[in-house]
Amino acid sequence: MATTATPAGGSRNGTGPEWGGFEENIQGGGSAVIDMENMDDTSGSSFEDMGELHQRLREEEVDADAAAAEEEDGEFLGMKGFKGQLSRQVADQMWQAGKRQASRAFSLYANIDILRPYFDVEPAQVRSRLLESMIPIKMVNFPQKIAGELYGPLMLVFTLVAILLHGMKTSDTIIREGTLMGTAIGTCFGYWLGVSSFIYFLAYLCNAQITMLQMLALLGYGLFGHCIVLLITYNIHLHALFYLFWLLVGGLSTLRMVAVLVSRTVGPTQRLLLCGTLAALHMLFLLYLHFAYHKVVEGILDTLEGPNIPPMQRVPRDIPAVLPAARLPATVLNTTVKAIEVTLRSH
Amino acid sequence: MTAMSPRKVWAGSEGCQTWDNLTLIFTNLIIPLRIRSRVVMTPVPMEIFMDPEKLGINFDHIWQKTLTVLNPLKPADGSIMNETDLAGPILFCVALGATLLLAGKVQFGYIYGMSAIGCLGIYALLNLMSSSGVSYGCVASVLGYCLLPMVILSGGAVFFSLQGTIGTVLALVIIVWCSLSASKIFISALDMEGQQLLVAYPCALLYGLFALLTVF
Repeated sequence: MATTATPAGGSRNGTGPEWGGFEENIQGGGSAVIDMENMDDTSGSSFEDMGELHQRLREEEVDADAAAAEEEDGEFLGMKGFKGQLSRQVADQMWQAGKRQASRAFSLYANIDILRPYFDVEPAQVRSRLLESMIPIKMVNFPQKIAGELYGPLMLVFTLVAILLHGMKTSDTIIREGTLMGTAIGTCFGYWLGVSSFIYFLAYLCNAQITMLQMLALLGYGLFGHCIVLLITYNIHLHALFYLFWLLVGGLSTLRMVAVLVSRTVGPTQRLLLCGTLAALHMLFLLYLHFAYHKVVEGILDTLEGPNIPPMQRVPRDIPAVLPAARLPATVLNTTVKAIEVTLRSH
Repeated sequence: MTAMSPRKVWAGSEGCQTWDNLTLIFTNLIIPLRIRSRVVMTPVPMEIFMDPEKLGINFDHIWQKTLTVLNPLKPADGSIMNETDLAGPILFCVALGATLLLAGKVQFGYIYGMSAIGCLGIYALLNLMSSSGVSYGCVASVLGYCLLPMVILSGGAVFFSLQGTIGTVLALVIIVWCSLSASKIFISALDMEGQQLLVAYPCALLYGLFALLTVF
């Protein structure tokens, strides 16, 4: 598209053939982007170049004058002259130093790569660790090995969240202050992180040999038992079955954690304190999850059907099939209290 | 003047002398000035709307990726995820919302929120698990494409209720289908052989949330 170069300073008609090059490039191809390589402005219109050069020189002069004038005034936050310049430089340096520190801190703490080694697992490893979390090992003289990884525990916590959500949805639980998702996530993550921190603090007091990462991993894998129990008992509404599973499965996973902690603690009092606290919290959490998030509707139905039916007899049933078209809205607490009331009154 | 060179005009401006003058002024003065100051801008001719290729929407690629998702047993080509394409995923999210709307549930906000946060979680996890990193756009694109079977499930929910045994089994099958497709594409794109189950499980949890939305 090169047009013939006109001699420097040669006369040109305003909208002469030199401009045709631009038009052709704009309207060719229907593209929204001008290809800058082909649109180089040194394509022969040296008149424009001279004009531009002159303009630029003049602008630079003006800028230099303005800068010089400004420096002479040297105002910085009301301070003129040397003081103004000094304060400006100091402010600049402080800003640079602050920015450098902030970016260094950000790259250090927000660097997700520090967690990378804890997610380096194989599927077979995760599977075997899941199964081992249900098998207590009676070796208390030497510290038992704890897998220091976070993938398994994190996935188990998320699974527990999903199971809780499913349970809440199938039982029409209504959460008045908040959302279902927020409650589920808050409960599960709060338990995992909060109880881990608390037991780690107690372990520190009792001089137990366990790190925070190991505690997180241990408690996380201990939630496997909770997931199994809740998955079964949210779908089969038999209280006897739940208590059986609570003792068996919950007990097994608690025993496993207790054995690990005992092997890493010295002294009977310390062992008792640490393991007793963990066992109590772990078992009570399972009890809480079952009763708080899957409300017992049978209590109400039993009272409605009449006094002939013994109140403790529970039958597994499909909730949507039995309920009438209009769902019964009731808060969790009310229903549980009513069920307990019915049970007490009948005795 | 108008015959000087072929000139594209905006629809409805043919034969208008004033418009021709204005166009001349524009092309002869304003665009050259902008070029000299290196601002690359030009009015968008109407033709661009006739040609989605220019907007970066490649229908052939979208179709290829859709076929990869619909057949979870077919091995995926790792290079198909090199370009981050969000047109397909956004279309599928809107389709999911629309089919839920047909079933009487207005849950567009939940879909967008859960997609965004779920993508963030999977993005963090994949960055930790893979040796080479992955971009958020790539993760969003893959997860969005694999949402297609969920659209089919919610389409079915319009005609029959999913709250029975059949509905639960169907939902489980769809969740497994979605997560297998997503993990297959991630594995091939990130070269994480042997870890398909580890990637599939978090995807299954995410799609399980969508299934909860669809079923209940």
